Amino acid sequence: MYYKFMVYMALSVFAVGLIYTVFNWFRFSIGINVKDVSPWGRITAAVRGISSLFNKEKLSILGRVFVQDILLQKHIKKQDKLRWIMHMLIFSAFMFLLIFHALDKIIVTPLHDRFYLMMNPWLIIAGLIVLAGLSISLYRRYILKVPRLKTSGMDLYTIIILVIIILSGLFMEITKLSSYEYYQKIWWVHISVCLFGLAYLPFSKMFHMITTPLSLLCNAVMDENSDPANIATRQVMELDACTHCNTCNQHCSVAVAYDNLGNDNILPAERMSFLKEYVANKKISAKKLRSIQQGIYLCTNCDRCTVVCPAGINLRELWFSAREELIQRKQPVDLMMTPFSYFRGLNHQRIDKEKYDLPLENVLNVLTADCDLSAKTLDAPIVLNQEANEFRQAMGISERTDTFSYCFSCENCSTVCPVVINYADPQQSLDLLPHQIIRSVALGLKDLATGSKMLWNCLTCYQCQEHCPQGVKVTDIFNKLKTVSIEDHK
Amino acid sequence: MMKYTLFVGCNIPARIQQYELAARSVVDKLGIKLVENQEFKCCGYPMQTSDNKTFLLMAARNLALAEKEGLDMMVLCKCCFGSLKKAAHQIQQDPELQEEINRFLAEEGLKYSGATEIKHFLSILYHDVGISVIKEKISTPFTELNIATHYGCHALRPSDVTQFDDPVQPSIFDDLVKVTGAKSVDWALQLECCGAPLMGVNDTLSMDLAEKKLVDCSRAGADYVCVGCPYCQMQFDRVQNMMVSERELTDEIPSIVYPQLLGLAMGIPEQSLGLGMNMLDITTLESFIKMETEIDSE
Repeated sequence: MYYKFMVYMALSVFAVGLIYTVFNWFRFSIGINVKDVSPWGRITAAVRGISSLFNKEKLSILGRVFVQDILLQKHIKKQDKLRWIMHMLIFSAFMFLLIFHALDKIIVTPLHDRFYLMMNPWLIIAGLIVLAGLSISLYRRYILKVPRLKTSGMDLYTIIILVIIILSGLFMEITKLSSYEYYQKIWWVHISVCLFGLAYLPFSKMFHMITTPLSLLCNAVMDENSDPANIATRQVMELDACTHCNTCNQHCSVAVAYDNLGNDNILPAERMSFLKEYVANKKISAKKLRSIQQGIYLCTNCDRCTVVCPAGINLRELWFSAREELIQRKQPVDLMMTPFSYFRGLNHQRIDKEKYDLPLENVLNVLTADCDLSAKTLDAPIVLNQEANEFRQAMGISERTDTFSYCFSCENCSTVCPVVINYADPQQSLDLLPHQIIRSVALGLKDLATGSKMLWNCLTCYQCQEHCPQGVKVTDIFNKLKTVSIEDHK
Repeated sequence: MMKYTLFVGCNIPARIQQYELAARSVVDKLGIKLVENQEFKCCGYPMQTSDNKTFLLMAARNLALAEKEGLDMMVLCKCCFGSLKKAAHQIQQDPELQEEINRFLAEEGLKYSGATEIKHFLSILYHDVGISVIKEKISTPFTELNIATHYGCHALRPSDVTQFDDPVQPSIFDDLVKVTGAKSVDWALQLECCGAPLMGVNDTLSMDLAEKKLVDCSRAGADYVCVGCPYCQMQFDRVQNMMVSERELTDEIPSIVYPQLLGLAMGIPEQSLGLGMNMLDITTLESFIKMETEIDSE
């Protein structure tokens, strides 16, 4: 009686959780390009999308993905043999236990009513295989210490609950033959943990049993021309498909920046964890926002994460959506003034012009706020104080950025600069010309030196530096000034 | 046999695969062996103007990886090339900095000492292979083809660091183009920036610079622009394509990456050079070869 109650409870929590999670896929969205489609509109779009799959071409693609990527998990094998063995051990033996043990009354008994008697040794073997897989997983995480393989609470929960299920199951099968009293006790433990695992499944990493195959199938038949409503739904679903396996973290092109800066959000898998929470609750603290903005913008869009993701998640598009949404916030993103903006620029036609320009204007306004030329009149003497001195010294000697003092204002740098040449009235458009920036540094005028539009529109083409008769490292000085300013605005 | 470790960077595998494809085909025909290293990551280029230390670490890690293999680096991208050269230069000037970097690299069992030479693809063709060897491999030279060579800033300058070519009057790229039978035209803005570094920061300015260059080389009578860098190629291919619709650009002039040009002259089939992967049509290039064979058969 009590047992039945527990089973129905677990099943209903599971069902409610499943409906809730799936409904969230249609309710939430990431990105600024998603038109306001109601959840109902998104559901009908999904139905339309699915019904368009019933043709020979699409079905053969889905069939191939099902066999190669879902059953055989070729994606994982290609990345890492040990991980593939780990996952196959857990996956195959767990599925075996699910079908021949957990669901035996439904699947096995109808075949033959005495069939379960011969199952016992097989169940023990399968349990041991799952345990072997879990041992490999612990070995990878705690002994091998795979680089940038991070263990979150959810990862740990998954391992622990599986270990308890299997261990209690094994003891149960063993005590079955020796002591009925112990068997009964352990049976309760085993059943309770299994039912808890089932009830909690839609909210846990274990849910990837459903979402990862779904992501693989979706991405096999969808592209950028698919219905935007379906892309929006898929992107939220993909957050649940991420198993936090860290393949992307290991391949990430800018992982070294994470190693040095320690911002978790630089790593793709950690961004996924963030987005999963963010999509449901978009209120975040200023500090957290800054960290995620830096993390998501510090990306070369090399596509490696998308190529290697064993869950087939289209991370490239997910970053594109999430990045646009996060940089529209008031908090300016300094990295927008660096070549990390390149990919966004290439795709500017995909973004509404106003929304494209706004975050760029924001950050430029902040970085150039101190450059007030009107305050520098002939009547106002330039103050050479301690602060000015400190700034000059902070320019340092690295890459000979101290060469600013050699400048004798011949203006060669300003003459050869392709940016200066591009404007009819360069002073009006750029505040200062290159030689004036160098003079500002020499005078210790940090506000002018770091705040002109000229500085933030420098191409780093090195024409100025190459043509300086005095060997002033003009471009290197500009680069240094930018880093100083970005550091100040952190 | 010449052997290098290939550094492709971030842009090429994601957006200009034809550059790598064509470079590999050409290099293979010249008997150069390339070694893969999946561990290479971003060269540090986009980090240079925001965080010098991180930039140096990113670059140094790649250099240390190449050093571990005991191979010189073949770099396809000029921004990667410039950035790696820059970092090596800065680290070598400062022993304390080198020590600090090595402490960081030691965590991965790596060490940077400066043993690896960083070489751009074009330099390898010109200096290590040599024009005369390339000439022997040319089977289907071009005729009456006018090419505008675009040198690319970060390979050329700062010349004391990159040591790629004469920064004021460079010639190696022109010689490499001439060996294919094509003519390298003189054009005033040859050594100017393509505008790519400001793409995404100030798109109008970035496109202004690209447009000026395109107009200039078109006036000089060029049929194609030729580049040896993914950023420049993107600017003259994908961005030019955007400019056609956004700016009503009339003087469309397609861009080609150098190994595509060289490969065609070597008789390498079109598919192995990825001609169809460019955004603006460059398949017409083959007509400049046909004329030659027709002349031969007459």
